[in-house]
Amino acid sequence: MHALAYCIREAVGSLWRQRGSAALSVLTIAVAMLVLGAFLLVTSNLDRLMSRWSSAAEFSVYLHDDIGQDQRIALNLMLADSPLVASREYVSKADALARFTRDFPDLAAGADALDENPLPASIEVRLRSGVASADSIEALAARVSAAPGVADVRFDRTWLERLGAIVRGTRWIGWALGAVLILAAVLTVSTIVRLSLHVRRDEVGIMQLMGAPMGLLRGPLVAEGVLHGGAGAILALALLYVGYVAARARFDPVLADIVDPALVAFLPWEFAVALVVGGMVVGCAGGMVAARFVRWAR
Amino acid sequence: MIEISHLSKMYGRGVYALRDLSIRVDKGEFVFLTGPSGAGKTTLLRILLCEETPTEGRVHIGGRDLARLSPGQVQAYRRTIGFVFQDFKLIQTKTVLQNVALLARAMGEVSIQQQRRTYQVLKWVGLQHRSNAFPMELSGGEQQRVAIARALVTEPSLVLADEPTGNLDPDLSLEIMNLFRDINASGTTVVVATHDRELIRRVDRRTMTLDHGRLAETS
Repeated sequence: MHALAYCIREAVGSLWRQRGSAALSVLTIAVAMLVLGAFLLVTSNLDRLMSRWSSAAEFSVYLHDDIGQDQRIALNLMLADSPLVASREYVSKADALARFTRDFPDLAAGADALDENPLPASIEVRLRSGVASADSIEALAARVSAAPGVADVRFDRTWLERLGAIVRGTRWIGWALGAVLILAAVLTVSTIVRLSLHVRRDEVGIMQLMGAPMGLLRGPLVAEGVLHGGAGAILALALLYVGYVAARARFDPVLADIVDPALVAFLPWEFAVALVVGGMVVGCAGGMVAARFVRWAR
Repeated sequence: MIEISHLSKMYGRGVYALRDLSIRVDKGEFVFLTGPSGAGKTTLLRILLCEETPTEGRVHIGGRDLARLSPGQVQAYRRTIGFVFQDFKLIQTKTVLQNVALLARAMGEVSIQQQRRTYQVLKWVGLQHRSNAFPMELSGGEQQRVAIARALVTEPSLVLADEPTGNLDPDLSLEIMNLFRDINASGTTVVVATHDRELIRRVDRRTMTLDHGRLAETS
Protein backbone atom coordinates (compact mmCIF):
# COMPACT_ATOMS: atom_id res chain seq x y z
CA MET A 1 0.00 0.00 0.00
CA HIS A 2 2.87 2.35 0.85
CA ALA A 3 4.61 1.35 -2.36
CA LEU A 4 1.44 2.18 -4.30
CA ALA A 5 1.15 5.54 -2.54
CA TYR A 6 4.82 6.18 -3.30
CA CYS A 7 4.34 5.32 -7.00
CA ILE A 8 1.29 7.59 -7.31
CA ARG A 9 3.03 10.44 -5.45
CA GLU A 10 6.07 10.18 -7.68
CA ALA A 11 3.89 9.94 -10.80
CA VAL A 12 1.89 13.06 -9.84
CA GLY A 13 5.11 14.94 -9.10
CA SER A 14 6.61 13.89 -12.42
CA LEU A 15 3.39 14.76 -14.26
CA TRP A 16 3.53 18.24 -12.80
CA ARG A 17 7.22 18.74 -13.55
CA GLN A 18 6.78 17.52 -17.14
CA ARG A 19 3.37 19.08 -17.65
CA GLY A 20 4.18 20.34 -21.16
CA SER A 21 5.03 16.95 -22.60
CA ALA A 22 2.42 15.28 -20.39
CA ALA A 23 -0.23 17.50 -22.01
CA LEU A 24 0.77 16.11 -25.41
CA SER A 25 0.40 12.57 -24.16
CA VAL A 26 -2.95 13.32 -22.51
CA LEU A 27 -4.20 14.98 -25.72
CA THR A 28 -3.18 11.98 -27.84
CA ILE A 29 -5.12 9.64 -25.59
CA ALA A 30 -8.02 12.12 -25.54
CA VAL A 31 -8.17 12.09 -29.37
CA ALA A 32 -8.13 8.28 -29.48
CA MET A 33 -10.80 8.02 -26.79
CA LEU A 34 -12.86 10.81 -28.38
CA VAL A 35 -12.99 8.95 -31.68
CA LEU A 36 -13.87 5.69 -29.95
CA GLY A 37 -16.41 7.46 -27.73
CA ALA A 38 -18.02 9.19 -30.71
CA PHE A 39 -18.44 5.89 -32.53
CA LEU A 40 -19.80 4.31 -29.35
CA LEU A 41 -22.23 7.21 -28.91
CA VAL A 42 -23.54 6.95 -32.48
CA THR A 43 -23.78 3.17 -32.54
CA SER A 44 -25.33 2.90 -29.07
CA ASN A 45 -28.05 5.37 -30.13
CA LEU A 46 -28.62 3.56 -33.42
CA ASP A 47 -28.81 0.27 -31.51
CA ARG A 48 -31.41 1.78 -29.20
CA LEU A 49 -33.45 3.17 -32.09
CA MET A 50 -33.27 -0.11 -33.99
CA SER A 51 -34.35 -2.03 -30.97
CA ARG A 52 -37.29 0.33 -30.49
CA TRP A 53 -38.23 0.26 -34.17
CA SER A 54 -37.98 -3.51 -34.28
CA SER A 55 -40.07 -4.01 -31.19
CA ALA A 56 -42.66 -1.40 -32.10
CA ALA A 57 -43.08 -2.67 -35.63
CA GLU A 58 -46.23 -3.99 -37.10
CA PHE A 59 -46.62 -6.84 -39.45
CA SER A 60 -49.41 -7.59 -41.82
CA VAL A 61 -50.82 -11.08 -42.32
CA TYR A 62 -52.43 -11.36 -45.77
CA LEU A 63 -55.10 -13.99 -46.05
CA HIS A 64 -56.16 -16.19 -48.93
CA ASP A 65 -59.57 -15.21 -50.29
CA ASP A 66 -60.79 -18.74 -49.57
CA ILE A 67 -59.61 -18.91 -45.95
CA GLY A 68 -62.04 -20.89 -43.90
CA GLN A 69 -63.75 -19.79 -40.71
CA ASP A 70 -61.86 -22.42 -38.66
CA GLN A 71 -58.56 -21.36 -40.12
CA ARG A 72 -59.25 -17.72 -39.30
CA ILE A 73 -60.23 -18.60 -35.73
CA ALA A 74 -57.05 -20.69 -35.34
CA LEU A 75 -54.98 -17.85 -36.69
CA ASN A 76 -56.61 -15.37 -34.32
CA LEU A 77 -55.98 -17.71 -31.39
CA MET A 78 -52.33 -18.07 -32.37
CA LEU A 79 -51.93 -14.28 -32.38
CA ALA A 80 -53.95 -13.78 -29.20
CA ASP A 81 -51.79 -16.33 -27.36
CA SER A 82 -48.54 -14.65 -28.30
CA PRO A 83 -47.11 -12.37 -25.60
CA LEU A 84 -45.52 -10.28 -28.36
CA VAL A 85 -48.82 -9.14 -29.80
CA ALA A 86 -50.31 -5.99 -28.32
CA SER A 87 -53.34 -5.77 -30.59
CA ARG A 88 -54.63 -6.93 -33.95
CA GLU A 89 -57.12 -5.59 -36.39
CA TYR A 90 -58.93 -7.49 -39.12
CA VAL A 91 -59.02 -5.59 -42.41
CA SER A 92 -61.54 -7.08 -44.80
CA LYS A 93 -61.17 -6.94 -48.58
CA ALA A 94 -63.70 -4.10 -48.68
CA ASP A 95 -61.88 -2.16 -45.95
CA ALA A 96 -58.60 -2.62 -47.81
CA LEU A 97 -60.13 -1.21 -50.98
CA ALA A 98 -61.64 1.71 -49.07
CA ARG A 99 -58.22 2.51 -47.60
CA PHE A 100 -56.65 2.24 -51.01
CA THR A 101 -59.09 4.68 -52.61
CA ARG A 102 -58.66 7.03 -49.64
CA ASP A 103 -54.85 6.94 -49.67
CA PHE A 104 -54.46 6.94 -53.43
CA PRO A 105 -57.40 8.92 -54.83
CA ASP A 106 -55.74 9.26 -58.24
CA LEU A 107 -55.76 5.49 -58.64
CA ALA A 108 -59.27 5.03 -57.25
CA ALA A 109 -60.92 5.17 -60.71
CA GLY A 110 -58.69 2.37 -61.96
CA ALA A 111 -59.57 0.17 -58.98
CA ASP A 112 -63.27 0.83 -59.50
CA ALA A 113 -62.94 -0.30 -63.10
CA LEU A 114 -61.89 -3.81 -62.04
CA ASP A 115 -64.56 -6.47 -61.86
CA GLU A 116 -63.25 -7.90 -58.69
CA ASN A 117 -61.59 -6.38 -55.63
CA PRO A 118 -57.92 -7.49 -56.02
CA LEU A 119 -56.87 -6.56 -52.50
CA PRO A 120 -56.66 -9.40 -49.97
CA ALA A 121 -58.13 -9.33 -46.50
CA SER A 122 -55.49 -9.03 -43.81
CA ILE A 123 -54.82 -8.92 -40.09
CA GLU A 124 -52.65 -6.02 -38.95
CA VAL A 125 -50.70 -7.04 -35.92
CA ARG A 126 -49.23 -4.42 -33.60
CA LEU A 127 -46.42 -5.66 -31.40
CA ARG A 128 -45.81 -4.81 -27.79
CA SER A 129 -43.05 -2.24 -27.58
CA GLY A 130 -40.01 -3.13 -25.55
CA VAL A 131 -40.76 -6.79 -24.83
CA ALA A 132 -39.93 -8.29 -28.19
CA SER A 133 -36.52 -9.01 -29.59
CA ALA A 134 -36.03 -9.02 -33.33
CA ASP A 135 -35.45 -12.79 -33.26
CA SER A 136 -38.67 -13.57 -31.41
CA ILE A 137 -40.66 -11.36 -33.80
CA GLU A 138 -39.10 -13.16 -36.72
CA ALA A 139 -40.01 -16.52 -35.17
CA LEU A 140 -43.64 -15.42 -34.71
CA ALA A 141 -43.78 -14.16 -38.30
CA ALA A 142 -42.47 -17.51 -39.53
CA ARG A 143 -45.07 -19.44 -37.52
CA VAL A 144 -47.93 -17.25 -38.77
CA SER A 145 -46.65 -17.47 -42.30
CA ALA A 146 -46.85 -21.27 -42.14
CA ALA A 147 -50.44 -21.27 -40.85
CA PRO A 148 -53.17 -22.52 -43.23
CA GLY A 149 -55.06 -19.74 -45.03
CA VAL A 150 -52.20 -17.29 -44.82
CA ALA A 151 -51.01 -15.99 -48.21
CA ASP A 152 -48.12 -13.86 -47.00
CA VAL A 153 -46.68 -12.11 -43.99
CA ARG A 154 -45.12 -8.74 -44.60
CA PHE A 155 -42.76 -7.83 -41.86
CA ASP A 156 -40.69 -5.02 -43.18
CA ARG A 157 -37.34 -6.12 -41.79
CA THR A 158 -35.25 -5.45 -44.83
CA TRP A 159 -34.48 -1.84 -44.01
CA LEU A 160 -33.95 -2.69 -40.35
CA GLU A 161 -31.51 -5.38 -41.38
CA ARG A 162 -29.74 -2.91 -43.67
CA LEU A 163 -29.61 -0.39 -40.87
CA GLY A 164 -28.27 -3.11 -38.59
CA ALA A 165 -25.53 -3.91 -41.11
CA ILE A 166 -24.66 -0.20 -41.31
CA VAL A 167 -24.48 0.01 -37.52
CA ARG A 168 -22.25 -3.07 -37.38
CA GLY A 169 -20.05 -1.69 -40.13
CA THR A 170 -19.84 1.67 -38.38
CA ARG A 171 -18.91 -0.10 -35.17
CA TRP A 172 -16.13 -2.05 -36.89
CA ILE A 173 -14.80 1.10 -38.51
CA GLY A 174 -14.86 2.71 -35.06
CA TRP A 175 -12.97 -0.21 -33.50
CA ALA A 176 -10.42 -0.30 -36.32
CA LEU A 177 -9.83 3.45 -36.24
CA GLY A 178 -9.81 3.37 -32.44
CA ALA A 179 -7.28 0.53 -32.45
CA VAL A 180 -4.91 2.49 -34.69
CA LEU A 181 -5.31 5.62 -32.57
CA ILE A 182 -4.88 3.59 -29.37
CA LEU A 183 -1.67 2.12 -30.72
CA ALA A 184 -0.48 5.64 -31.51
CA ALA A 185 -1.53 6.73 -28.01
CA VAL A 186 0.38 3.84 -26.39
CA LEU A 187 3.50 4.79 -28.34
CA THR A 188 3.11 8.46 -27.45
CA VAL A 189 2.57 7.72 -23.76
CA SER A 190 5.56 5.39 -23.69
CA THR A 191 7.73 8.04 -25.37
CA ILE A 192 6.59 10.77 -22.98
CA VAL A 193 7.02 8.52 -19.94
CA ARG A 194 10.47 7.57 -21.22
CA LEU A 195 11.24 11.28 -21.40
CA SER A 196 10.17 11.53 -17.80
CA LEU A 197 12.37 8.51 -17.00
CA HIS A 198 15.24 10.33 -18.70
CA VAL A 199 14.63 13.39 -16.52
CA ARG A 200 14.52 11.18 -13.41
CA ARG A 201 17.35 8.87 -14.46
CA ASP A 202 19.64 10.05 -11.64
CA GLU A 203 16.94 9.46 -9.05
CA VAL A 204 16.12 6.03 -10.47
CA GLY A 205 19.83 5.16 -10.58
CA ILE A 206 20.30 6.22 -6.96
CA MET A 207 17.25 4.26 -5.85
CA GLN A 208 18.59 1.24 -7.69
CA LEU A 209 21.97 1.51 -5.97
CA MET A 210 20.19 1.78 -2.64
CA GLY A 211 18.48 -1.51 -3.35
CA ALA A 212 15.00 -0.37 -4.30
CA PRO A 213 12.94 -3.31 -5.60
CA MET A 214 12.13 -3.20 -9.30
CA GLY A 215 8.47 -2.51 -8.50
CA LEU A 216 9.42 0.79 -6.86
CA LEU A 217 11.57 1.78 -9.83
CA ARG A 218 9.08 0.86 -12.53
CA GLY A 219 5.88 1.52 -10.59
CA PRO A 220 5.98 5.33 -10.82
CA LEU A 221 6.36 5.09 -14.60
CA VAL A 222 3.38 2.78 -14.94
CA ALA A 223 1.37 4.99 -12.57
CA GLU A 224 2.34 8.00 -14.68
CA GLY A 225 1.04 6.25 -17.79
CA VAL A 226 -2.21 5.39 -15.99
CA LEU A 227 -2.63 9.03 -14.95
CA HIS A 228 -2.01 10.19 -18.53
CA GLY A 229 -4.59 7.68 -19.77
CA GLY A 230 -7.20 8.52 -17.15
CA ALA A 231 -6.82 12.26 -17.69
CA GLY A 232 -6.99 11.80 -21.48
CA ALA A 233 -10.12 9.67 -21.27
CA ILE A 234 -11.85 12.10 -18.88
CA LEU A 235 -10.96 14.96 -21.23
CA ALA A 236 -12.35 12.95 -24.15
CA LEU A 237 -15.55 12.24 -22.24
CA ALA A 238 -15.97 15.92 -21.39
CA LEU A 239 -15.39 16.96 -25.02
CA LEU A 240 -17.80 14.27 -26.20
CA TYR A 241 -20.48 15.52 -23.82
CA VAL A 242 -20.00 19.12 -24.91
CA GLY A 243 -20.20 17.98 -28.56
CA TYR A 244 -23.31 15.94 -27.80
CA VAL A 245 -25.08 18.84 -26.09
CA ALA A 246 -24.12 21.20 -28.93
CA ALA A 247 -25.33 18.72 -31.55
CA ARG A 248 -28.62 18.23 -29.72
CA ALA A 249 -29.16 21.99 -29.53
CA ARG A 250 -28.42 22.32 -33.24
CA PHE A 251 -30.17 19.25 -34.65
CA ASP A 252 -33.03 18.46 -32.27
CA PRO A 253 -35.69 20.13 -34.48
CA VAL A 254 -34.51 18.11 -37.49
CA LEU A 255 -34.20 14.97 -35.39
CA ALA A 256 -37.76 15.33 -34.12
CA ASP A 257 -39.06 14.70 -37.67
CA ILE A 258 -37.28 11.37 -37.86
CA VAL A 259 -37.19 9.91 -34.36
CA ASP A 260 -38.41 10.57 -30.87
CA PRO A 261 -35.68 12.90 -29.48
CA ALA A 262 -36.16 11.29 -26.07
CA LEU A 263 -34.67 8.11 -27.52
CA VAL A 264 -31.39 9.84 -28.32
CA ALA A 265 -29.15 9.90 -25.27
CA PHE A 266 -25.53 10.36 -24.21
CA LEU A 267 -23.34 7.34 -23.59
CA PRO A 268 -24.70 5.00 -20.90
CA TRP A 269 -22.66 5.30 -17.68
CA GLU A 270 -21.23 1.81 -18.15
CA PHE A 271 -19.74 2.91 -21.47
CA ALA A 272 -18.42 6.14 -19.94
CA VAL A 273 -16.74 4.20 -17.13
CA ALA A 274 -15.40 1.68 -19.65
CA LEU A 275 -13.97 4.57 -21.71
CA VAL A 276 -12.13 6.00 -18.68
CA VAL A 277 -10.90 2.56 -17.61
CA GLY A 278 -9.90 1.89 -21.22
CA GLY A 279 -7.91 5.12 -21.27
CA MET A 280 -6.16 4.10 -18.07
CA VAL A 281 -5.37 0.68 -19.55
CA VAL A 282 -3.94 2.36 -22.66
CA GLY A 283 -1.85 4.66 -20.45
CA CYS A 284 -0.79 1.72 -18.32
CA ALA A 285 0.38 -0.13 -21.45
CA GLY A 286 2.40 2.93 -22.49
CA GLY A 287 3.86 3.21 -19.00
CA MET A 288 4.77 -0.48 -18.98
CA VAL A 289 6.54 -0.15 -22.32
CA ALA A 290 8.55 2.77 -20.90
CA ALA A 291 9.16 0.97 -17.61
CA ARG A 292 10.93 -1.84 -19.45
CA PHE A 293 13.77 0.61 -20.00
CA VAL A 294 14.53 0.43 -16.28
CA ARG A 295 16.76 -2.58 -16.31
CA TRP A 296 17.98 -4.89 -13.60
CA ALA A 297 21.32 -4.03 -12.05
CA ARG A 298 22.92 -6.93 -13.91
CA MET B 1 32.65 -10.41 6.61
CA ILE B 2 34.23 -9.96 3.15
CA GLU B 3 36.12 -12.77 1.45
CA ILE B 4 37.53 -12.13 -1.98
CA SER B 5 39.50 -14.87 -3.68
CA HIS B 6 41.41 -14.68 -6.96
CA LEU B 7 39.22 -11.84 -8.18
CA SER B 8 39.92 -10.47 -11.65
CA LYS B 9 38.04 -7.94 -13.69
CA MET B 10 38.98 -7.40 -17.29
CA TYR B 11 37.62 -4.64 -19.53
CA GLY B 12 37.94 -4.92 -23.25
CA ARG B 13 40.81 -6.99 -24.61
CA GLY B 14 43.33 -7.72 -21.93
CA VAL B 15 42.87 -4.54 -19.88
CA TYR B 16 42.70 -5.67 -16.26
CA ALA B 17 41.20 -3.38 -13.62
CA LEU B 18 41.72 -6.09 -10.98
CA ARG B 19 43.99 -9.10 -11.24
CA ASP B 20 44.02 -12.17 -9.03
CA LEU B 21 43.06 -10.19 -5.95
CA SER B 22 42.48 -12.02 -2.69
CA ILE B 23 41.37 -10.05 0.36
CA ARG B 24 39.72 -10.80 3.66
CA VAL B 25 38.02 -8.22 5.87
CA ASP B 26 36.80 -9.41 9.26
CA LYS B 27 33.58 -8.41 10.90
CA GLY B 28 33.85 -5.10 12.75
CA GLU B 29 37.07 -4.09 10.95
CA PHE B 30 37.86 -0.65 9.54
CA VAL B 31 39.88 -0.97 6.37
CA PHE B 32 41.27 1.59 3.97
CA LEU B 33 41.66 0.74 0.31
CA THR B 34 44.18 3.00 -1.25
CA GLY B 35 46.32 3.32 -4.32
CA PRO B 36 46.84 5.66 -7.23
CA SER B 37 44.10 6.52 -9.70
CA GLY B 38 43.33 3.47 -11.84
CA ALA B 39 44.58 1.06 -9.18
CA GLY B 40 41.17 -0.66 -9.09
CA LYS B 41 39.68 0.73 -5.85
CA THR B 42 36.44 1.88 -7.42
CA THR B 43 36.11 -1.27 -9.54
CA LEU B 44 36.46 -3.38 -6.39
CA LEU B 45 33.76 -1.37 -4.59
CA ARG B 46 31.50 -1.54 -7.65
CA ILE B 47 31.87 -5.32 -7.58
CA LEU B 48 31.05 -5.33 -3.87
CA LEU B 49 27.93 -3.28 -4.69
CA CYS B 50 27.07 -5.68 -7.54
CA GLU B 51 27.35 -2.90 -10.10
CA GLU B 52 29.98 -4.96 -11.87
CA THR B 53 30.46 -8.68 -12.23
CA PRO B 54 33.92 -10.20 -11.86
CA THR B 55 35.60 -11.82 -14.83
CA GLU B 56 37.08 -14.44 -12.53
CA GLY B 57 37.14 -15.25 -8.84
CA ARG B 58 34.65 -15.26 -6.00
CA VAL B 59 33.29 -12.63 -3.64
CA HIS B 60 31.51 -13.66 -0.46
CA ILE B 61 29.93 -11.07 1.81
CA GLY B 62 28.38 -12.20 5.06
CA GLY B 63 28.40 -15.74 3.69
CA ARG B 64 26.65 -14.77 0.45
CA ASP B 65 28.26 -15.57 -2.88
CA LEU B 66 27.56 -12.42 -4.88
CA ALA B 67 27.86 -14.28 -8.19
CA ARG B 68 24.90 -16.46 -7.28
CA LEU B 69 22.47 -13.65 -6.44
CA SER B 70 19.48 -13.19 -8.73
CA PRO B 71 18.64 -9.60 -9.79
CA GLY B 72 15.98 -9.42 -7.09
CA GLN B 73 18.40 -10.77 -4.49
CA VAL B 74 20.98 -8.19 -5.57
CA GLN B 75 18.51 -5.44 -4.67
CA ALA B 76 17.75 -7.12 -1.34
CA TYR B 77 21.50 -7.47 -0.67
CA ARG B 78 22.09 -3.79 -1.44
CA ARG B 79 19.50 -2.88 1.17
CA THR B 80 21.60 -4.65 3.78
CA ILE B 81 24.73 -2.60 3.15
CA GLY B 82 25.40 1.13 3.36
CA PHE B 83 27.21 2.82 0.49
CA VAL B 84 28.67 6.32 0.41
CA PHE B 85 29.71 7.83 -2.92
CA GLN B 86 32.23 10.52 -3.72
CA ASP B 87 29.56 12.56 -5.54
CA PHE B 88 27.03 12.00 -2.70
CA LYS B 89 24.28 10.78 -5.07
CA LEU B 90 21.50 12.65 -3.34
CA ILE B 91 18.14 13.16 -5.02
CA GLN B 92 18.00 16.88 -5.69
CA THR B 93 14.20 17.12 -5.67
CA LYS B 94 13.92 15.58 -2.20
CA THR B 95 14.65 17.14 1.15
CA VAL B 96 17.34 15.86 3.50
CA LEU B 97 14.75 13.93 5.50
CA GLN B 98 13.20 12.45 2.35
CA ASN B 99 16.60 11.45 0.99
CA VAL B 100 17.48 9.65 4.20
CA ALA B 101 14.13 7.92 4.71
CA LEU B 102 13.00 7.56 1.08
CA LEU B 103 13.55 3.87 0.52
CA ALA B 104 12.31 2.84 3.94
CA ARG B 105 9.14 4.89 3.51
CA ALA B 106 8.53 3.71 -0.04
CA MET B 107 8.82 0.14 1.20
CA GLY B 108 6.29 0.77 3.91
CA GLU B 109 8.65 0.89 6.87
CA VAL B 110 6.99 3.76 8.68
CA SER B 111 7.17 2.43 12.19
CA ILE B 112 7.93 4.72 15.11
CA GLN B 113 11.32 3.00 15.44
CA GLN B 114 12.09 3.73 11.79
CA GLN B 115 11.20 7.42 12.20
CA ARG B 116 13.19 7.60 15.40
CA ARG B 117 16.13 5.97 13.67
CA THR B 118 15.93 8.55 10.83
CA TYR B 119 16.03 11.45 13.27
CA GLN B 120 18.77 9.73 15.29
CA VAL B 121 21.11 9.40 12.30
CA LEU B 122 20.38 12.97 11.20
CA LYS B 123 21.17 14.15 14.71
CA TRP B 124 24.26 11.95 14.78
CA VAL B 125 25.63 13.54 11.59
CA GLY B 126 24.62 16.96 12.96
CA LEU B 127 21.93 17.77 10.41
CA GLN B 128 18.73 17.50 12.39
CA HIS B 129 18.17 21.23 11.92
CA ARG B 130 18.51 20.95 8.13
CA SER B 131 16.06 18.09 7.63
CA ASN B 132 13.77 20.17 5.41
CA ALA B 133 16.56 21.63 3.29
CA PHE B 134 17.21 20.47 -0.27
CA PRO B 135 20.67 19.12 -1.18
CA MET B 136 21.53 22.17 -3.30
CA GLU B 137 21.07 24.34 -0.21
CA LEU B 138 23.78 22.39 1.64
CA SER B 139 27.57 22.60 1.57
CA GLY B 140 29.64 19.69 0.24
CA GLY B 141 30.41 18.46 3.74
CA GLU B 142 26.75 18.62 4.72
CA GLN B 143 25.73 16.73 1.60
CA GLN B 144 28.22 14.00 2.37
CA ARG B 145 26.87 13.78 5.91
CA VAL B 146 23.37 13.34 4.48
CA ALA B 147 24.73 10.53 2.29
CA ILE B 148 26.31 8.93 5.38
CA ALA B 149 23.03 9.26 7.28
CA ARG B 150 21.24 7.57 4.39
CA ALA B 151 23.78 4.75 4.41
CA LEU B 152 23.32 4.23 8.13
CA VAL B 153 19.57 4.52 8.45
CA THR B 154 19.07 0.83 7.70
CA GLU B 155 21.61 -0.12 10.40
CA PRO B 156 23.82 -2.03 7.96
CA SER B 157 26.51 -4.41 9.16
CA LEU B 158 28.79 -3.23 6.34
CA VAL B 159 29.43 0.30 5.09
CA LEU B 160 31.37 0.87 1.86
CA ALA B 161 32.60 4.32 0.91
CA ASP B 162 34.21 5.31 -2.37
CA GLU B 163 36.38 8.41 -2.00
CA PRO B 164 33.90 9.95 0.47
CA THR B 165 36.18 12.93 1.05
CA GLY B 166 37.25 13.38 -2.56
CA ASN B 167 35.26 16.60 -2.96
CA LEU B 168 35.93 18.02 0.51
CA ASP B 169 38.62 20.20 2.07
CA PRO B 170 41.05 18.63 4.64
CA ASP B 171 39.14 19.75 7.76
CA LEU B 172 35.82 18.48 6.46
CA SER B 173 37.53 15.28 5.31
CA LEU B 174 38.74 14.57 8.81
CA GLU B 175 35.31 15.37 10.19
CA ILE B 176 33.73 12.87 7.79
CA MET B 177 36.39 10.29 8.56
CA ASN B 178 35.68 10.69 12.27
CA LEU B 179 32.07 9.83 11.50
CA PHE B 180 33.23 6.61 9.83
CA ARG B 181 35.39 5.88 12.87
CA ASP B 182 32.33 6.31 15.10
CA ILE B 183 30.30 4.05 12.82
CA ASN B 184 33.01 1.42 13.13
CA ALA B 185 33.12 1.85 16.90
CA SER B 186 29.50 0.71 17.06
CA GLY B 187 30.49 -2.63 15.46
CA THR B 188 29.87 -1.92 11.79
CA THR B 189 32.46 -3.11 9.28
CA VAL B 190 33.75 -0.15 7.29
CA VAL B 191 35.68 -0.16 4.01
CA VAL B 192 36.78 3.24 2.76
CA ALA B 193 38.50 3.76 -0.58
CA THR B 194 40.67 6.87 -0.65
CA HIS B 195 43.90 8.06 -2.16
CA ASP B 196 44.40 10.63 0.62
CA ARG B 197 47.55 9.34 2.38
CA GLU B 198 47.47 12.08 5.00
CA LEU B 199 43.96 11.12 6.03
CA ILE B 200 44.94 7.46 6.28
CA ARG B 201 47.91 8.40 8.45
CA ARG B 202 45.73 10.42 10.81
CA VAL B 203 43.02 7.78 11.17
CA ASP B 204 45.57 4.97 11.48
CA ARG B 205 43.73 1.78 10.46
CA ARG B 206 44.56 -1.29 8.38
CA THR B 207 45.34 -0.21 4.86
CA MET B 208 45.38 -2.26 1.68
CA THR B 209 47.19 -0.69 -1.19
CA LEU B 210 46.22 -1.63 -4.72
CA ASP B 211 48.39 -1.06 -7.73
CA HIS B 212 47.43 -1.97 -11.27
CA GLY B 213 44.63 -4.13 -9.92
CA ARG B 214 46.85 -6.19 -7.61
CA LEU B 215 47.25 -6.05 -3.84
CA ALA B 216 50.61 -4.31 -3.49
CA GLU B 217 50.80 -3.87 0.26
CA THR B 218 48.89 -4.39 3.51
CA SER B 219 49.80 -2.36 6.56
